[in-house]
Amino acid sequence: MGDSMRNKRGSLAITLATVLMILSSVPVLSNSRCASAAAVSSQDDWKKEFEDICSKTQDSMSFTSDELKSLVGRCDALRPRIEKLDETQKKVYLKRLQMCRDLLAFVLESKSGK
Amino acid sequence: MKKLFFLFLIILVCSGITLAQTGTKKKRPLDFEYGRVVLNNYSEKAGFAPVVFNHWLHRAKFTCRLCHVDIGFAMKAGATDVKATDNMRGYYCGTCHNGKTLFNGSGNVFEACSKKLSAEDGRRCERCHSLGKKVKQEYEFAQFTAKFPKERFGNGINWEQAEATGAIKPVDFLEGVSIKRPALAIQKDMSIEAKMEGIPAIIFSHKKHTVWNGCELCHPEIFIGVKKGTTKYSMVEIFEGKYCGACHGKVAFPTLDCQRCHTKQVDG
Amino acid sequence: MRHLYKIFIFLVLLFASVDEAGARTIAAPHEYGRVIIANYSARAGLAPVVFNHWVHRALYTCRLCHIDIGFAMEKGATNITAATNKQGLYCGACHNGKYTYNGKTIFASCSETTSRHDAVCERCHWPKKYGDNEREFKVFMEKMPRRPLGNGIDWEAAESSWLIKPVDFLEGISIQRPPLKAQKDFSIEANVAWMSDVIFSHKKHAFWNGCEVCHPEIFPIKKGATRYTMLEIDSGEYCGVCHDKVAFPILDCQRCHMGEKY
Repeated sequence: MGDSMRNKRGSLAITLATVLMILSSVPVLSNSRCASAAAVSSQDDWKKEFEDICSKTQDSMSFTSDELKSLVGRCDALRPRIEKLDETQKKVYLKRLQMCRDLLAFVLESKSGK
Repeated sequence: MKKLFFLFLIILVCSGITLAQTGTKKKRPLDFEYGRVVLNNYSEKAGFAPVVFNHWLHRAKFTCRLCHVDIGFAMKAGATDVKATDNMRGYYCGTCHNGKTLFNGSGNVFEACSKKLSAEDGRRCERCHSLGKKVKQEYEFAQFTAKFPKERFGNGINWEQAEATGAIKPVDFLEGVSIKRPALAIQKDMSIEAKMEGIPAIIFSHKKHTVWNGCELCHPEIFIGVKKGTTKYSMVEIFEGKYCGACHGKVAFPTLDCQRCHTKQVDG
Repeated sequence: MRHLYKIFIFLVLLFASVDEAGARTIAAPHEYGRVIIANYSARAGLAPVVFNHWVHRALYTCRLCHIDIGFAMEKGATNITAATNKQGLYCGACHNGKYTYNGKTIFASCSETTSRHDAVCERCHWPKKYGDNEREFKVFMEKMPRRPLGNGIDWEAAESSWLIKPVDFLEGISIQRPPLKAQKDFSIEANVAWMSDVIFSHKKHAFWNGCEVCHPEIFPIKKGATRYTMLEIDSGEYCGVCHDKVAFPILDCQRCHMGEKY
């Protein structure tokens, strides 16, 4: 009788421990997933933003001054995000962003004179 | 004493000639040498020969804009600050030179700069790190350009006509690097008057330039525009590498060929 | 007085300077304008190339060879090889066995069918045993208007009296350009009071050179921006690029210093 009770208690303890372990690892799992998902989305974000702004350089002559001002502003806002990237990405994209921003500013200036 | 003075004079004169900016005919680069850029920010420090980059091969395959705007190369030797790590990470040269990119059925573009170097790799490094070395190049200039329309000076090729007739089809978009954009609206040609009496005016074609460059390459860094007060460009500045000379000095057709640009005959 | 020392130095250098042969002599008429090209000849087991300007300048303008064909204006700088000649570049642009001049076929230089021991190689890779081309030059010179120094020939007079008709365009090589208006003649003031001014004729120079031979490398196009002295000219800069070893030499002062003195 005592043995079966001990066995039952033992298996209960094991079951409880297993459940607890599973429960405690879930937040860990979900955290890392969340973290990597967050990382992926932020990486996508700045690049998407960059592509969205700088795809408009070809069309820049057809935008209004207000639209151009907002694009230049978006470039300026994007810059600190690019400065946080790794050395190579920073080097490449800062230059690309600079060329894009300067062109938009250039077109804006040529419109403001009119 | 006299001999010393004489010797000093000879040295002075000779150094004058070598340092002379004007007064002597500079050695004109041969057609396959024109557009050559030597890069040595880090090569020698790392124990490699400096990199020799020849524009002629790349400009037959890609537009200026792709490399100088999308990939981000600077337009002055050494200014981009390319490192082996940048290439290995898939930027700059490594954007295409990664051992994986396929080009035009000619197989994979060879990988630039890898971490592990075997004896075989040494030969691969020398394909670019080739200054002073006798390296057999994959493409030979005369053979490669045999059927291209010819012109005076520079590479001896009329690149503009080569593109217009389809002899070359420079790629302007690289997946994952270039941004998808709408086509550029056609700009009008404009005439630029020459200062000197009797010299024909220039007919500047935006269309011909944007085929290769898009907008950002020239504006505003090279051409800051009339609004900022730049209404005149002097030939002296152009020959020094400013304005038109940024490209038409060492890479595009040289400004030595006056009548390529000064085409509009002056009346009277 | 200020400029006297510069003139003195110039004269000293003029008469005391050495050429690569180790001794200074004023070149004989048939030697003036001779260029010895020895970049690769020895390696190929041939004598150096002896190029005489007088033969070619009677037939072609300076511009054709130095601009259209692309020869450098400094000995050895063009980097001509047998391969480039065979490709139809440099010497091979005309010396291809197909082009003719006055009905005569121009011999091929460095062709696939010649071997190193063929007699035709020696027409350029000129061995010393064949002498100096002096006889041929004397025959040529007889018909030409004379002028002391240099080749002893007044090339400009020869051209203007149609004794020579230099060709300026080569089919397949030259690119036709509309002619630019020749600039007017102008005078260049001499530094010293006892020397007349130089009367420079653009028209006479443009006939032989077009624009590109001189501008912008030798002479920047901004008038008056560059000052140069006879010292620099004698060292082979500015006017001296041509008027040192090939066109009439600067020893002939009054060919340029023609302005009136009062």
